[in-house]
Amino acid sequence: MEYSATKSATTTGSNIPVKEVYTPEDIEEFDYNRDLGLPGKEPYTRGIYSNMYRGKLWTIRQFSGFATPEETNKRFKYKYENGETGFSISFDSVTENGLDPDDPRAEDEVGQSGVSVSSLADMETVFQGLPIDKVSTAVITSQWTSPALAAMYFAMAEKLGVSLKEVNGTSQNDPYVFTLCCNVIDCVTPPHLLRLSVDLIEWCAQEVPHWHPVSFASYNYRENGCNAHQELGMLFANAVGYIEEELKRNRLKIDDFGPVLSFHLAAHNDFFEEIAKFRAARRMWYKLMKERYGAQDPRSLAFRFHVQTSGSTHIYQQVLNNSVRLAYQVLAAALGGAQSIHCNSYDEPVCLPTDQGVLLSIRTQQIAQYETNIANVADPLGGSYYMEWLTNEVEKRAWEYFQEIEHRGGLLEVWQSGWMHREAANAMEERQREITSGETKIVGLNCFEMAEEPYQVPVFRPNPQSTEIQADKVRKLRQERDNQKVKQCLENLRQVSLSGENVMPALMEAVKAYATLGEIQDVWRSIYPKWKVPIEY
Amino acid sequence: METRTRVLMAKPGIDGHWRGAKIVTTALRDAGMEVIFAGNMSPEAIAKVAVQEDVDVVGLSILAAGHMRLIQRVLQALQEEKVKDIAVVVGGTIPQEDIPRLKELGVDGVFPSGSKTELIVEFVKQKMSQKKSSV
Repeated sequence: MEYSATKSATTTGSNIPVKEVYTPEDIEEFDYNRDLGLPGKEPYTRGIYSNMYRGKLWTIRQFSGFATPEETNKRFKYKYENGETGFSISFDSVTENGLDPDDPRAEDEVGQSGVSVSSLADMETVFQGLPIDKVSTAVITSQWTSPALAAMYFAMAEKLGVSLKEVNGTSQNDPYVFTLCCNVIDCVTPPHLLRLSVDLIEWCAQEVPHWHPVSFASYNYRENGCNAHQELGMLFANAVGYIEEELKRNRLKIDDFGPVLSFHLAAHNDFFEEIAKFRAARRMWYKLMKERYGAQDPRSLAFRFHVQTSGSTHIYQQVLNNSVRLAYQVLAAALGGAQSIHCNSYDEPVCLPTDQGVLLSIRTQQIAQYETNIANVADPLGGSYYMEWLTNEVEKRAWEYFQEIEHRGGLLEVWQSGWMHREAANAMEERQREITSGETKIVGLNCFEMAEEPYQVPVFRPNPQSTEIQADKVRKLRQERDNQKVKQCLENLRQVSLSGENVMPALMEAVKAYATLGEIQDVWRSIYPKWKVPIEY
Repeated sequence: METRTRVLMAKPGIDGHWRGAKIVTTALRDAGMEVIFAGNMSPEAIAKVAVQEDVDVVGLSILAAGHMRLIQRVLQALQEEKVKDIAVVVGGTIPQEDIPRLKELGVDGVFPSGSKTELIVEFVKQKMSQKKSSV
């Protein structure tokens, strides 16, 4: 199929029809002060700081982790020495599922898709010798294990002399990441997951003021097939679900915790649509916080977000092409005003990133920051007829989707009923059919294909002994620690969980006594009903 | 009447990245096949269900680097179930250099992340016609 005949030639990546050219007539209702304003001013469409990247370049935050904590520590140091400015830790599937590495179900997977962390001891090893007093960290895991892994990070920081008042970073703690997009075996039902997540937010808002205890991760909804406006609609519906759970408790006011909420979005292939999406997201968040919740603190009104380049756009064919896709996606994130960016590595369709793959990702960001001059001027595309029209269009469609979710009962309802799972599956199938039919072109996949792979690239393999090493470590830990104390702490956690008080103080005590992740999650497994994810497929 | 090809699509182990398995499930169903989507399962359970459900093909989706160990366990479990005529097709984050070794072990086809779904459909159809002509 000729490109000019495809749907891609006349629509955005999310199938919004577009014209050949845009003029003032397309934004007739446009009002500069109402719709844009200056960067750092309401409604924040143009960015959340007045001088944007002149004040502070976006943080280069490369998500990584594999094998043992020792090996991940080395990779973290390698990245830091090469100019990474933020840390982000990726856990293996065993940790994400809340299991210990000696669990029989973990047998083949410890350290394979991320680092294995099952206790405070492992967390201490990951960050040994790294300047966590100066560099912020994102602790990226399932919602199910976010409170416990955040607690391990905090306890580790305290042991290094960084107080809770100073520790800086983010927990993912998003409701959908591991129930909509990835599956978690053996976890509890959504109302209990929500309670634990909101406990983390509530406690951090008071005790850990520089921590973002949630990063609503529409990146993962997008990666699971949703389009740009579904991404934003779902993002804000989820944020509303968390906010209302906290407000219902009558413990905190909106401006007590609004400033700590944060977001993690995708940068997909449609360059202008993605920039429009980031701009629309800022304006939507401002309206939501101001009009619906009456927030006053500028930090509550400002939409802070991390961007990750879209893993689902990378393919194994002509594998170096992915580095070009990545550079465009980083550029979109930067022109969209992201606070931090993770650039995936070109080799990820083949393996976990090699050292060279990660280095290229860091350099891709540095070249954008230091050589292209894009960081000089805030919101450089603001005022373009097309950009303003598209920002309005993405916003309009995102509100419609948001309202549909509200109409269906909001976060908990669409989460438990399986409606959201079906929506994502339908969107994913639609995109795949567009690729198969050639309506959406992918270079090297359905056009410009080559019979022979032209690039031979090195393959990274995480330590195959990780299971044995980590399983031995956790067994030894269970022998050496004060088990009487651990038992008391876990019993206390159980009591507090049943009582409805915030679980975080008891959780902090448990991790400091070196209770393992599996033991902590088992406390909740033993008192809450098990959830079967409503994926009908 | 022609019998429909039956496929068991599973993710051995506990990694939760389901997108690839779902996409291939949809493609095979669009091509008229019957696909049981099992999600995460232990290798041994996959072999048992494959036998119980009398499937023609087992599809394994792996995106978390543990593929050599997991696939070997599935193949062994299938052997223990005395399965002879079930095709095993693997997809996911599989380095090119591992493909010959996987085929030696008894995997029929390997389709890394980003493979065209129509090639997977074509491969399964071809396997099924070979199977029929050998009966």
